[in-house]
Amino acid sequence: MGTYTRTISVGTVIVFGLIFALTDARHTTWQALLPLFEWMETTPPGVISQTYGAAFALVEAAHLIAMAVLGGAVLVADGRLLGLILRDVPLSRVLDQSHRLFVWSLAAMILTGVFMACGVALKVYYLNVFWYKMLALGTGVFFVFFVRRPLLRGDVEKVNPQLLRLVGIASLMIWFSVAATGRWIGFSG
Amino acid sequence: MEVFNQLIYDFAVWVDAHQWSTALHESFYVYNWIESTHVVALTLSIGMLFLIDLRMLGLAMVDIPASTLARRLSLPMFLGFTVMIITGLLLFYAIPVRSAQSLWLRIKLVLLFAAAINAWLFHRRMSAAGHSWDTAMKAPMRLQVGASISITFWVLIVICGRLIAYDWFDCRAEPSSFIAALAGCVAGQEAF
Repeated sequence: MGTYTRTISVGTVIVFGLIFALTDARHTTWQALLPLFEWMETTPPGVISQTYGAAFALVEAAHLIAMAVLGGAVLVADGRLLGLILRDVPLSRVLDQSHRLFVWSLAAMILTGVFMACGVALKVYYLNVFWYKMLALGTGVFFVFFVRRPLLRGDVEKVNPQLLRLVGIASLMIWFSVAATGRWIGFSG
Repeated sequence: MEVFNQLIYDFAVWVDAHQWSTALHESFYVYNWIESTHVVALTLSIGMLFLIDLRMLGLAMVDIPASTLARRLSLPMFLGFTVMIITGLLLFYAIPVRSAQSLWLRIKLVLLFAAAINAWLFHRRMSAAGHSWDTAMKAPMRLQVGASISITFWVLIVICGRLIAYDWFDCRAEPSSFIAALAGCVAGQEAF
């Protein structure tokens, strides 16, 4: 995919996202998702979560550990982009190595997150902060796989240093939002 | 054990009597922001620690020299631990009696102490091993053992930390005498 094609694609996704957020489509989609959330509570993870509090608590802990590893991978990569850590290690090496860890921890986070959501599906369905978290997570995944990764995959040393810093700051802000909104779910409802 | 538990209980009751403790507990936003900061600091401290440990085991960042990674990530890791300790103390200050009598917090503190000893031993072994293995896929076996123990301790610490929120073994739930002694329940105590 060429640079311009990618830029146009990202721009299109952002425009569609804004149209979705600012029109009635958002509310209609939310209403259409209710049966899915009702069904989630009846699935085995939903039943296990509701029946065994200890199982839910252990999955919560696993979710936190996955978040810590993901946070570590993000902080190392973004810290290097900002020139704060590992400055004596080539940037491309840090980005490649941390990305692998990021993918594994993201998979673990999503797996444990879905399990937890099944246990309290109807509760989170009515929580605004849950949807903010999903939005932040979706933005984070989109940013990593469709913006950051393609941009930094080539000869990263030739990319404008200011742009690298901008990417690092944006990434940190997005993933901080994911963690903060996720924690706030526990305080709501 | 009873005397020890009574002393801790008396101290917690004394802390609880502080106006700031109650204010912190009753402030929805301040208390929750402190708790959120405690959890987010986890990504900085345990995130960095796991990266170092996984590197020693040859499971992550294998193309980066191990000692370079350990040295460079130590500062953000300690920064994260400092924030975690400060926010952890504030969380205790906000809810002192229940926290002091939490079985999970007590186990967590023991594990933290064990993890600190393991970290000290690990650091000593790493210094003694020199740089001969720096670019190897895995660290020497003794360091791998240390890294595995470290990961195990921290996984258990996170689990215990998470379980503090659950009231299964709270004193008011009247647990068995063995659990009550471990949790620090004191005869005739007031409900908090």
